[in-house]
Order: sequence, then C-alpha cells, then structure tokens
Amino acid sequence: MTKHDKAGAFSPKIGNVPNRARPRQADAYNSRGARLRDGVREWWPYYLMLAPGLIYFGLFHYLPIWEARLAFEDLRIIGPNVWVGTKHFAQLFASPTFFEVLKNTLIISAMKVAFVFPLPIILSLLLNEVRSGRFRRGVQSVIYLPHFLSWVVIAGIFIAALSPSNGVVNDLRDFVGLDRRSFMTDSGSIRWVLVWSEAWRSAGWDSLLYFAAIMAIDPALYEAAEMDGASRWQKMRHITLPGIVPTIATLFILHVGLFLNAGFDQVFNLSNDAIRDKIDIIDTYVYRLGITGGQFSLATAAGLFKGVIGMILMIGAHTLSKRLTGKGVW
Amino acid sequence: MASSNKTRMERLEEAIIYSVLIAIVVVTVQPILNLLAISLSDPARVPGMSGMDIVPDGFSIDIWKLLASHPAVQRGLMNSIFITLVGAILNVTFTAMMAWALSRKKLPLRRTLFVLILATIVFEPGIIPDYFVMRRLGLIDSYASVIIYKLVNAWYLIILIRFFEEVPEELIEAATLDGANAFQVFWRVVLPLARPALATITLFYVVYHWNDFLRPMIYFNDQDMWPLQVVLRQFVVVGDKAAIVGLQAMNNYEGASQIDLRAFRAGMILFTILPVLAIYPFILRYFTKGTMSGALK
Repeated sequence: MTKHDKAGAFSPKIGNVPNRARPRQADAYNSRGARLRDGVREWWPYYLMLAPGLIYFGLFHYLPIWEARLAFEDLRIIGPNVWVGTKHFAQLFASPTFFEVLKNTLIISAMKVAFVFPLPIILSLLLNEVRSGRFRRGVQSVIYLPHFLSWVVIAGIFIAALSPSNGVVNDLRDFVGLDRRSFMTDSGSIRWVLVWSEAWRSAGWDSLLYFAAIMAIDPALYEAAEMDGASRWQKMRHITLPGIVPTIATLFILHVGLFLNAGFDQVFNLSNDAIRDKIDIIDTYVYRLGITGGQFSLATAAGLFKGVIGMILMIGAHTLSKRLTGKGVW
Repeated sequence: MASSNKTRMERLEEAIIYSVLIAIVVVTVQPILNLLAISLSDPARVPGMSGMDIVPDGFSIDIWKLLASHPAVQRGLMNSIFITLVGAILNVTFTAMMAWALSRKKLPLRRTLFVLILATIVFEPGIIPDYFVMRRLGLIDSYASVIIYKLVNAWYLIILIRFFEEVPEELIEAATLDGANAFQVFWRVVLPLARPALATITLFYVVYHWNDFLRPMIYFNDQDMWPLQVVLRQFVVVGDKAAIVGLQAMNNYEGASQIDLRAFRAGMILFTILPVLAIYPFILRYFTKGTMSGALK
C-alpha cells in the first residue's frame, strides 16, 4: 500500500467537502458531538454506498464464522443443538481417514509447488527471448485460455485425452510402441494427472505475472550488457532472472500460504472410485462428509481445522513476504 | 540486437526456443481441436477416430443439433445466462460502490473496515457453515443463493480500491465545486474514468459465474435450475447415460439410436466453452495490458 500512499499526496480534504465550504465555528468544531455530526454530514453518502457491501460481508462472511460453532455441537432436528465441546475434533483426529486425507493434501500441494510452480517462470523467460512481437503475442493469447475454463470442462478434456482406447496420449504411446494405460484409474499415475492438468491450466496464465515483471526491467541494463558482449544466456542469468526474483518470492510465499488448498474443483471433477483414496483432500473430504453424508458437525470440524491452519499459513506468508520483499500478499 | 551475422550457436538457441513454444501451443490447443473434430464428424465414423485427429472425418452437425434441442442443455443454457448476467451486474455495482467509499483516505473507520474485509480472505470457515447460512436465510433452492454467494469478491474489491485511489483529486474537487454531490461525482466522474478497471472485474465476475458448478450443485435441489456446468458435469464427469439420451430427446431425434456418446460429450464440452471463447478477445485486451498484473490471481 505504501506505493499508493505516495500517490495520495494530493490534498486530502477535497473529496469530502460538501457542496460549498461551510463556515465552521472553531469552538463548536472542537466538541465531540459537533465533530461527530460534522462527520456524519460529510460521510453519510459514502456509508450509504458501503452499506450493501457491508451487509453482504456480515451475512456471508461473518455469519458463517458464527455458524461454524456447529463443530462444537451435536445437530438436533428439533430443539436447539447440544454443546459437546471438542468431541468432533477428537473423533476427527482419531480417524485414520482424516490423516490419509491430510497426507494427500500435503503431497499433492508439494508436487504442484515442485513441478508446476517453476513452469511459468521458464515460460516467461522463453517468451522474453522471442524477438517477433507477433509470434510472442500469438503464443500468449493461446496459452492464457485454459485459465478461463472451468474444472468441469478441463476434466472433460483430460478424460477424453487420457482415454485408454482413443485418447491422444495413448494413441501417441501406441504410435511409439508403448502400451496403453488407463491413467485416470491407475493409482500410481492419478496424482501426476493432477499435476499435469494443473500445469495445462495455469502455467500459461501465471507466466503473465512474470512476464510483466520482466517488462519492467530497465532496458538500459540489457544495452550495457550487450556492449560488454554478453550472450543470451548471460543476460538471462544476470539481468532477467534477478529482475523477477521478487515476483518469484512473492508468488512462492503465496503458494505456501495457500498450501492446504490442494484444488477442490480439480480433484472433485477428476476423481473416481478406483483412485479416490489417492487424491482425496481435506476439501473433498469435507464435502463428502457434510454435503453428501450429512455428518455436518464432523465436516464442519474438519473444515474449521483447515481454516485455522490455513489462516496461520497465510498470515505467516504475508509477514514473511513483507519482511523479504517489502510487499505483502494483499 | 538485430545483428545480421548470428553465430550458429545463436541460431540453434533460437530454434530450440521457438520449437518449445510451438510445442506448448500444440499441447494447449490439440485436445480442444480434437473434440471439435469429433463433434463435427459423421457420427458413423466417430468410433474409428483417433485422439490425434484434428480434422473432422466426414462432416455433420447432427451432434450440435441434438445438443441445441436437448431440454437439459437448453435449460442449463438459460440458467447459466441468467445467473451470469444478473450476478455480474450486481457484483460490479456493489463492488464499485464499496471500493469508491473505501478508497477515500479520510473515510472514518476506513482502516477497521479494511482489516475486517481482509480477514475474510485469511480465514474461511468452510462450505458447511456457508450452507447453513444459506439455509438460515431461506435461500436454498433459489437463484439468489448462487448470485449473492460471492457478491463482493475481496480480491477484486482491493483491485478497484487501488484504482480509485489513483483518480486525480483535482477532478473530484472541480466537480464538487460545480455543485455535484457525492453520488453525482461517483456516477459522472469516477465511473467513466474507471472504465478499464470496471471492464476487467466485470469479465472476472462473468467468468466466475459462468464456470461455477459447486454452489449450484449444493444449493439447488431442483435439477431444472442447474446451470450448464452442472449439466456438463452430469454428462461428462459423472457419465450419466440416462441423462445424456433422455427419453424426450430419443423421441425427438430420429438418429438417437446411433448417438455416439463420445461425440456428444465432445460437443457438450465445446458448447460450454463457446461463451468464454466469445469474450476471450476482451479478456486479452483488458487483462493482459500488464497494468494490473500485480493484483491478479
């Protein structure tokens, strides 16, 4: 926000002065009541504009926090719920399924950070080496597209492309003499399906963030390097890469902050009975427990567990990011 | 930079870079083109088609005609359009009003409100409490539930606040001196200035509503209210064959006995993508200017 504070150096009183400058009596203004009245008269239009949004945040973001007390209660159809303390949390932590699901969440997130996270960086570096603006823009306009497709659509595309009988992947494998494999139902490969479908969807779009950072690098640096006879590789290594390190750091930290979000929409649509135990994550577990299974209290407890750990990770990520790059996550 | 005597090494590097990028483009579009080819092929020849084909085998628009006349698809399309349009209009209206007020640096309680809104990004109690709130408010089985669910997205709100903070105070001052009140300043001065930013978040919201499948699945018990994504999910992911070739469609369509499910699914996936493709040029125009890249994601 610091960057914008500088921009806000223009006189602060202006946007708020009502129609015409009102003469104020100094003594009246200094009294609390008068100042409040003055503030109300000055700011009520803005609060009117804020009102619907504030009501929305109250109803749909703060009321759910109050509703989350269900994690500490037994649900009753008739009459008020019964307070049971940490019973559901005890049940959760005693269940092997919960730890399986937690493990899957961590493994899948880790795989994505390890294998998907570097791709947009590499992609942006490659795009930066393209001299033809038309070719570069053409490539960019294609690779951004998957980001705007829903996971239902992407699941449909991947199910078709990975089909053992007539999907492009197996047709290619067949072409080079490899056996056809059912990746979608194979417990050894399904996590890789998650990794590659995530890469297919987001590597292109995420490269935009790095590319924007590269564009912001001072061209004089490249010119000076060229005068010194620097090669393409040396320029990339010593100018471009250092130039985007802050962006890499910020996004990496954000990924860590969102580590427990292993991708509900993705897993939900790519899952099937054959491999569910390999990719069941906290979010899909909460859904199955609560929405499908009706075990609302237990599901809320699991969701709350994720919410609290996620909050700690997010605040940690923000603090770390602020310390390292001077820029927070938000 | 454009020295004519490139070394062999440089030319090799260039060839590698271009090939890698072309390969990425192929990997991105080939699966989609394959589905397009399958959906436009002669239904009788679809079973023999490979996943590598990107040219239709024979030509027929039977699948598309069947899709367009399928009652579940028609209803899904209308539901999706309704939810997306109404949702996006309300989203943008309330996000813009809120952002404008919060962008005023002297607004009393500004910091407190900011922190309260940011807190909703940091802590999410989960889908079950969300569901119970909807139930408590009596919004289950109404379109309002999915429309209101993300009425103001905190991330987009922050993008707009940042944008509004840059609006030159002189303009606001001038309008105020001309006798415009706070609402008139917002409507006549601020909103026209913010057109690119508003267009950007409008597109974000449109894409969000169009692609949302989870909330309709949770909040609508009535299948007639399902948007296209949920219908698609039923056809493609769940593989509900009875739903695909509904009795009604069977009776209406002579060739129904020969419907190739693979072709039907391919067509349905593309049918759902089409509107996204239609607004994609605008997305490219507004999103990729790089001006807001820091705030994206």
